[in-house]
Amino acid sequence: MIGKIYNIQSFSTSDGPGIRTVVFFQGCNLRCLWCHNPESWAMHPPVSFIKESCIGCGACANVCNPRVTDSTACTGCGRCAEICFAGALARPCRELGVDALFTLIATDKPYFDNGGGGVTFSGGECMLQPDFLSAMVEKCKANGIHTAIDTAGHVPYEWLARANPDLFLYDIKAASPDTHKALTGVDGLLIWENLARLVEAPFPVHVRIPCIPGANWEEIPAIIKRLKKLGVTKIEPLPYHRLGEGKAAWFNQEARVYEVPSESEMQKIMNEVPL
Amino acid sequence: MKPVVLSQDITGRIAALRETKKNENNKKVAQFGGAYNTDDHGFICFDDFKFTPAYPEGYEIMFGPRCIGENLKRFFAEMPVYIHPQSALAGAWAGFFNRDFVNIGLRPEDEPKHLYATHEKYGLNPGIGGMNHLGPDMEIGFRLGYPGLLEKIRHYRKKNAPAGADFYAGEEATVEGILAYIENHFHYAQKMAAEATDPWERENYTNIAQSLKNLLEGPPKTFRDVCQFLAVFQSADRTYFGGGGLQQLDELIRLYYEADVAAGILTDEEAVWMLASLFYNDTHYSQLGGQSPDGTRELTTPISFIILQAAHELAIPHNLAVRVFEGSDDKLLRRALEYIVEKGTGPCFSLSKGIEEGYMKQGHPIELARMRANVGCNWVALPGIEYPLQDVTRLNMGFVFHHALEDTMAGGDPDLDKLWANFSKHLLEAVKCIAEGYDWHYEVVSRNTPELVLNLFCHGPIERGVNCANGGVDILNLNVDGTALATVADSFAAIEQRVVIEKKLTWEEMHKTVRNNFKDAEPIRLMLKNIPRFGHPESLALPWALRIRDEFVRQVNETPTPKYNIRVVPGLFSHGEIYGYGKNLPATPNGRFDGDPISHSNEPDPGFASGVVSFSPSLKATAVAQAQPGMGNSAPLHLDVDTNMIKGAGGVDALIALVHTHNQMGGTRINLNCVTAEQILAAHENPDAYPDLVIRVTGYSAFFSSLSKDYRQQVVDRYLR
Repeated sequence: MIGKIYNIQSFSTSDGPGIRTVVFFQGCNLRCLWCHNPESWAMHPPVSFIKESCIGCGACANVCNPRVTDSTACTGCGRCAEICFAGALARPCRELGVDALFTLIATDKPYFDNGGGGVTFSGGECMLQPDFLSAMVEKCKANGIHTAIDTAGHVPYEWLARANPDLFLYDIKAASPDTHKALTGVDGLLIWENLARLVEAPFPVHVRIPCIPGANWEEIPAIIKRLKKLGVTKIEPLPYHRLGEGKAAWFNQEARVYEVPSESEMQKIMNEVPL
Repeated sequence: MKPVVLSQDITGRIAALRETKKNENNKKVAQFGGAYNTDDHGFICFDDFKFTPAYPEGYEIMFGPRCIGENLKRFFAEMPVYIHPQSALAGAWAGFFNRDFVNIGLRPEDEPKHLYATHEKYGLNPGIGGMNHLGPDMEIGFRLGYPGLLEKIRHYRKKNAPAGADFYAGEEATVEGILAYIENHFHYAQKMAAEATDPWERENYTNIAQSLKNLLEGPPKTFRDVCQFLAVFQSADRTYFGGGGLQQLDELIRLYYEADVAAGILTDEEAVWMLASLFYNDTHYSQLGGQSPDGTRELTTPISFIILQAAHELAIPHNLAVRVFEGSDDKLLRRALEYIVEKGTGPCFSLSKGIEEGYMKQGHPIELARMRANVGCNWVALPGIEYPLQDVTRLNMGFVFHHALEDTMAGGDPDLDKLWANFSKHLLEAVKCIAEGYDWHYEVVSRNTPELVLNLFCHGPIERGVNCANGGVDILNLNVDGTALATVADSFAAIEQRVVIEKKLTWEEMHKTVRNNFKDAEPIRLMLKNIPRFGHPESLALPWALRIRDEFVRQVNETPTPKYNIRVVPGLFSHGEIYGYGKNLPATPNGRFDGDPISHSNEPDPGFASGVVSFSPSLKATAVAQAQPGMGNSAPLHLDVDTNMIKGAGGVDALIALVHTHNQMGGTRINLNCVTAEQILAAHENPDAYPDLVIRVTGYSAFFSSLSKDYRQQVVDRYLR
C-alpha cells in the first residue's frame, strides 16, 4: 500500500499536543482561498518550478521540451526533476509505503515520549487516502505513538470513523453554506454533519478555526456559537499568517493575500472560546 | 523559586552596567579592526595604559616562570584602577597580557620545527604551547584568600627546596602582583568614598573598600567578599593567560549567600546586583545545577536561580551553563528556557549522560565524572585536578580526505575501499603527529609559559612544585578535536551515490571537476552537493559519519604520546572557526568550493534536509547525538530555533523535552538561540541597528554586532538551514 506524501515536518508544536511530526498528504478536495499549501491540491500534481534556484543549465529540456516551453503541459512524470540537481524543478510529492513512512515518523519517538507528542496526519486532505491513512494510524498506535488526524472533514463519515485516531484536529472555516462555498469551494454541510457525528460518537475532537480578516472573520462568532451548541469542548482559533505566500508562484498561480490579525483582535476571539 | 522582584534602583544600576558594557564593546570592536570574534571578553580599553616589558637578555620573546612572574607582578601593580560607579565590585582587566602587551610564548629553540611540515599538510592546530584550558577550583582561594596563597607558596618553596626556584619565584611574584592590584583598588575605593557626594555612592565605595581590605587580610568572609574575590580572579586569569573558567558557581558561593541572608546583611536583590556586577567584569564560564559527587543531592538551590536571573537582567553576553541529568528537577531548566525564549539567548545546557559515561570510559569513577563542570567554551573539566587542554588542538579531517582522494586517484582503478584505506592511513599520520606534538608540549610548555594563575587554584602544583601541565595535577588527558566531519561524510556519500551507485559520473570526471574547483561545472557540483546529506534520515552519509567518527576515536584512543605515553582523548568540535579551517582546504566532493567553510563540529551542514523531509531541531539534534565521539568531551548541538516555531503555550515544554531527549541519546551540550529568522537576517544586514542582540555563536556568547560578517553568516546559515 502506497501513500502520497508531500512533506514531513518534525518538532511541530502547533499541530496537536506535545512535540509532533506532521505528515502532509497529497491531494485536497477543498480550494480555500488563503491556502498556504497549493502544492498539496492535486492528487497527481505537476512538477513545481522555483525560478530562483534555476541555473539555466538546460538539462530539463533534454528530457521534456514542453516543460521549458509550456509549463501547463506538465504531466507530472518527474523525469525533469530527476536531473535537475539545482533543485529548481521538484516533484512535489513522494510515494511511500507504510513501513517506510513509519520509519521516518519513528525517528522522533524519543521526543514524543519526553514531550507527550506523536504524529499528526495532515495535508492536503489526508482523509482522501483513507486506506493508507488507516494503516498508518494502526501501525503508529500499535507502536505506542499518539496519532492525530488534521482534517477538513469533507469525506464520508465512515472514512473518518474507520481511521480512528487518538485525536481529530477538525478544521472549520465558515458557518453558513454560502460563505463556506465562496471561501472553500464546498458548502460545508457534510463537514458540519460529520463533526456532529464525531462529537456524538464520541471521538476526541479539537476544532481549529483559521481566523482571516477579509475572508471568514465576520463569521467567527457564529462558528463558535454553533460549535458550543454541538458540545465541542476544545476550540482553537488560529491566526492567519503569510508563511506560504510565495508558493503559489511555483505553480504559476496568483497568490491571494489577507491581512494578518493583530494580537488584540485574536484575543477578543480567544475570550469567546471554552478554555 | 520565583524571580526576585527588583526595585527600580537595582534595575537602574544593572541597566547602567549594560549601557557601559555596550559602549566599551564598541571601543573594543574598533580597536580590533571592526570585529571581535571570540568570547565577549569583559576587558576595558584603557587607552593611556602602556606597559614596558623586560624580556630575557638576548630575546624578543618572554618565557619562563620567573621572568613572566616578575613582569606580571609589575603589570598587575601598574594596571589602571577601575570601579564602575553602579557596580558592587572593583576591578577590570586591561586586555590579554600575552596578546596585547608583551610577546610571550615558546623560546625559539623550543619551537617544534620538525613537525611543521605535517602540521601544514593536514591543517593541524597542534596545541603545542596551548594555555589556560583547564578549570580552577576556587574553593582553594576561598579557604586561603590571596594572602594565604602567598603563604602557601612560601611554605612549599621552603619545604621542597627545589634546585631551581624559578617555578616558585614566578608563582610568588604573581600573587604579589595580584595583592598589589587589590591594594591599589582598596585605596581608590577609599578615595572615591571620600570624594562621593551621593550618600549611596559613598556607602557603596566604602563597602567595596571593606571587601578589598578583607581580601588583603585573609580569606573572603561575606557574599560580597567572594564576589569581589572572583572579580579579582577573573581579571587576573584573563590577563594571564586568557583563562575563562570558574566552576560550579552556585555551590561555590551558596554557603556565603545563605549565611549572609540568615544574618540579615544580604537581600536577594542585592545578590542579583552583586552577581550582575561580577558578570559585567567578565564572561567566565561556569555551571549551575547538576548532582553532588555521590549522586544523592541535586545542586540546584535558590542561589542557582539568583545567578541565572542576574545574567538575564544584565542582558549582555554571559557563559553560564545549566547542567541537566536524567531525573533532574526541571525548574531551573524551565527558567533558563523561559529566559531564552524571552530574550533570544541565555545559558547553554551541559548534559550529564554523554559527558559522564564518556569520562567513565576513560577509566574514571562516576563520582569524578559528576564533578566535571562547564569551565570553557563547550567543554567540561574537573576543577583543580585535571589538565585536559580541550578546545585547543584540532585535526582537520578535510585535509585528511583531500590527501586520501589524491592518493586513491593516483593509484589507479579507484574504488571506495581504496579511498577509505587511504583516509585511514592519512588520518593515522595526522593523529601520530598530534601525539608527538603533545610530548613536545609536555616537555617545553612549563619552562616557557607555566600556568602561573591557574596553578594557584589547582590541587598539586604548589604542593609539588610543578606546573599543572607537568604532573602538577593528578589527571593529565590531552585532547584533540576532529573537525569537518560532515564535510568528509558528505563527500564520501556523494561519491558513493553519484559515482558508484548511480554512475552519473566516473571517478575521473568527479576528481577532475573537484580538482578544478568545479570550474564551468555547476550542474556537477550541484549533483554532488544535493544528495540527501548527513542529518537527513535517509542519507548515505550517516553510515560514513559514524565510520569516520569510529575510526578517529579508535586511532586517537590507540595512539598515546610515543615518548611519555600520555593518553590523548578524541573529541569533535570546531569552535567557530569553520571559515578559518576551510580557507586553505581545496574543493571537496560534497560540492564545497576551495576555501569555503568546513562543517561545524559533528553537525550536519546547513541545508541538509531535503525532499519531503523538512528541517527541524529534532532532526539536527538526532544527527548530533548519533555522531558523538563518546569519550566525555562535548560535541555541541547548535540549535537556532525560529521563535515562530515555539511561540505557542507548549513551546518551552517542547524545548524541555528536546533537551532531555538529547541527553538521553548521548548528546553532551546544547547551545540555543531563539530569535526569528527575520530578525537575524535584518541584524545581519544592519548589525549596528541591533546593538542589544546577543547570540550564542558556539559555546560562547557575543553581541551579534561585534562579529565579523563571516561569523555572523554562520549563525544566519544555521537559521536558514
